[in-house]
Amino acid sequence: MIKKILFWFVVVMVAVWFLTPVIMIVIASLTPSSEYYNPNKIFPSHLTFEHIYKLLFVLGGWKATLISIEVALVAIGLSFLIGLPAGYAMTRYFFPGKNAIRIGILMTRSIPLIVIAVPLIVIYMEIGIADTVIGVALAHTAMILPFVVLITSSIFSGVSVEYEEAGMVFGLSRFQSFMRITLPLALPGLAASAIFSFIMSWNEVFVASILTLTNRTLPAHILNTAMTSPDYFKFAAGTIMAIPAMVFIFFTRKYLITMWGISLK
Amino acid sequence: MAKVKIENLKKYFGKVKALNGIDLEIGDGEFVVLLGPSGCGKTTLLRSVSGLEKVTEGRIFFDDKEITNLPPKDRNISMVFQSYAVWPHMKVRDNIGYPMKIKGFSKEEIEKKVLWAAELLNISELLDRYPAQLSGGQRQRVAVARAIVLEPAVLLMDEPLSNLDALLRVKMRSEIKKLQERLGVTTIYMTHDQVEAMTMGDRIAVMLSGRIQQVGKASEIYHKPANIFVAGFIGSPQMNFYKVKTVSEGANLFVEGEGLKVPIKKDPNVDKLVLGIRPEHIYLEKEENTMEIEVEVYFIEKLMSDTIVHANLDGGSRIVAKIPGDHEFKEGEKIKLYIDKERIHLFDPKTERRLDI
Ligand SMILES: Nc1ncnc2c1ncn2[C@@H]1O[C@H](COP(=O)(O)OP(=O)(O)OP(=O)(O)O)[C@@H](O)[C@H]1O
Ligand SMILES: [Mg+2]
Repeated sequence: MIKKILFWFVVVMVAVWFLTPVIMIVIASLTPSSEYYNPNKIFPSHLTFEHIYKLLFVLGGWKATLISIEVALVAIGLSFLIGLPAGYAMTRYFFPGKNAIRIGILMTRSIPLIVIAVPLIVIYMEIGIADTVIGVALAHTAMILPFVVLITSSIFSGVSVEYEEAGMVFGLSRFQSFMRITLPLALPGLAASAIFSFIMSWNEVFVASILTLTNRTLPAHILNTAMTSPDYFKFAAGTIMAIPAMVFIFFTRKYLITMWGISLK
Repeated sequence: MAKVKIENLKKYFGKVKALNGIDLEIGDGEFVVLLGPSGCGKTTLLRSVSGLEKVTEGRIFFDDKEITNLPPKDRNISMVFQSYAVWPHMKVRDNIGYPMKIKGFSKEEIEKKVLWAAELLNISELLDRYPAQLSGGQRQRVAVARAIVLEPAVLLMDEPLSNLDALLRVKMRSEIKKLQERLGVTTIYMTHDQVEAMTMGDRIAVMLSGRIQQVGKASEIYHKPANIFVAGFIGSPQMNFYKVKTVSEGANLFVEGEGLKVPIKKDPNVDKLVLGIRPEHIYLEKEENTMEIEVEVYFIEKLMSDTIVHANLDGGSRIVAKIPGDHEFKEGEKIKLYIDKERIHLFDPKTERRLDI
């Protein structure tokens, strides 16, 4: 009984700890500007989408959102194009230096992106992709790719190689067997890692702000504009940033757990 | 259906010689069992025949056509995997029909063959389930059904019964055997279970360390084991082995050692030998062509249908006898046993090969 009470107490505390700021942000972003600075009102008398609307359609937020989505999609596409075969090779084949490569991939994650961002902008300016979607997408690919290689490798190792071999025995080529047997079995995990990659790119702010000037991604745009705006705009920006990620995670939480932990059956 | 010829097949994994020169011919429609202990190379051989593993050396033929370097899909084989490998994202119906779907058969043809195979294996009522909703035995039947829908040239099975409980295993043993006879498909069946091998195979190939030690009918392997390993591997309890020497007394030849002295007919031309006698060829009552020995009972195992007597010979060596029926012996009791002189085996201790005398 005591244990149960304690358990629920901890659960509630953790939930409050994480959710209170989020709820406060959302409420603040929906508070009419006239009431926001009124110290006698903690909760607004009515909610308004005015700030969010203004942020998106007057202050260039919508354009930044689209750029963010473009950047994320290109980065995911590139990462999976390279990372998926690499992850597959890492589990299915034995080759010399495999462990060294695995550790090398991990090592790249230990270098903060911000460190390479400055040299990167110099190179980008030379080859002419500074301040472009593709430029940011490439930098994000560098950030996401190691994650994709490692995580797809662990997802593929959760799909027994014998399923694939059975496909080959019964008349498929190796590639066909991968497409028709292994891929469908790995799909939930792969989808989860794609969404996670999306969020990684969506939330990334430092590199994006350094590499772009006019074509800013949403977080870079917000970082740049919100600092000089009234508070309720800052909160509106926070809401716009947080909601998509939270919705994604809510719908894919089951797969995300599979992806990180217990292998696929 | 095809005959299979394997010529000097070698497969090395780095320094590990998983297959070390396999030669084997299998007739059209024959059921050959490869029997060997864990790690002897059974799976490796099967994977080489199926094309999932590239061989280091040697050649494989199906019906005089060399297939050594063909990819698995072009070999017209079927396989029942040790883990069944029934695809979890397909219903039983689709699992069984998938090999036909790959080959481009029409929906009606597939449906007909799936029903036929399901009927044959008694899984008709499971067709709309997913593999996760099946028991191990049912999953195994699905794997077999999937392997036979297309009437392959060669059917490969890798210890398909090893995951089943003892009762189901006995049942499936006869079912698979009957099924194979009905279909007449050339079959290579891997197992480490000698009872499975004895009861199912038209012929048995006994393997050890990447080599085939002996190929033959069950009776040949049991009565004329080619070497000490085969003699010891087949039969339960294991054959008794004794180090002996040849001695001659006048015109009569004997082998003698470790408290045993058994007459032999022909001079084996080696002085040191290994004598083997199976526990079931040692009797409690005197019979024709037997030789009496006196032993001291060490302990007994009562199986009710048989009594396994572990006893000490004069020289201190152990002898194991399998006596039909339920008998009572006391530890330390002196009893007389009778060795069947016609059923002894002699081996050369250097080559470990059988000596025919
Ligand atoms: N991919 C591999 N890499 C290295 N060695 C291997 C590989 N596969 C098999 N071996 C080795 O080859 C030998 C034969 O293995 P194999 O799997 O064929 O044995 P098996 O007879 O099927 O055994 P079991 O009855 O346990 O299934 C073993 O010594 C094994 O360790
Ligand atoms: Mg094996």
